[in-house]
Amino acid sequence: MASGAAQENGESLAGTDLVRVTVALAAGFMFPGLGHVVVKRARRGLTFAALILACFGLGLVHDGRLALRDGQQPFLSTLQVVANVGVGAPDVVARWLVYGRPVYSLQGEPSLGAFDERNDILRARARSAVSLYGTAYLWTAGLMNLLLLFEVWDIGVGRRD
Amino acid sequence: MLLYSTLVSAYFGILVRRDRRDQFRLAALIWSAMVGGTLILSFLMYPFPG
Repeated sequence: MASGAAQENGESLAGTDLVRVTVALAAGFMFPGLGHVVVKRARRGLTFAALILACFGLGLVHDGRLALRDGQQPFLSTLQVVANVGVGAPDVVARWLVYGRPVYSLQGEPSLGAFDERNDILRARARSAVSLYGTAYLWTAGLMNLLLLFEVWDIGVGRRD
Repeated sequence: MLLYSTLVSAYFGILVRRDRRDQFRLAALIWSAMVGGTLILSFLMYPFPG
């Protein structure tokens, strides 16, 4: 606890196993809750994994949009992709199931009506009456997982129990 | 809305608090704020045409 308090006051991270923390962060990003398992908080990690995956699963069954980067709205569509990608491997699997492969951007020229089939899939999901709810679930799952990485870091460097 | 609020409030309750009782209380507070806030806002918007 004493070292944790010291680090909280901005002192050095000496004594912190940065390799383990980095691995934990990478694991946490790859799969919700896995970072907590690496820093020996398995039970907590499983709880968060259950919550985040439930949120993600609800997003998929509600036809949530798995965002694709759109050159016409690069900033907003990139933020959407980041929110989706935050959930890690489940997002890759979901894109594989929905688009046939993990894709993250639209291709083609919209003014020529030449967007490829992924645009049709995206629009078809967006037409669902519950798609907005699903999209909110998907974004929330991704952002919750990204937020969880901060806690993994805090635990890893001894700022939190 | 109820399901969404439940998931989000449980997440933040567990994330922010360590003691089980505190977690439950914070989650209940967040859940009430989300559901109550939505109902109040929708009630306030009711007179306006869609």
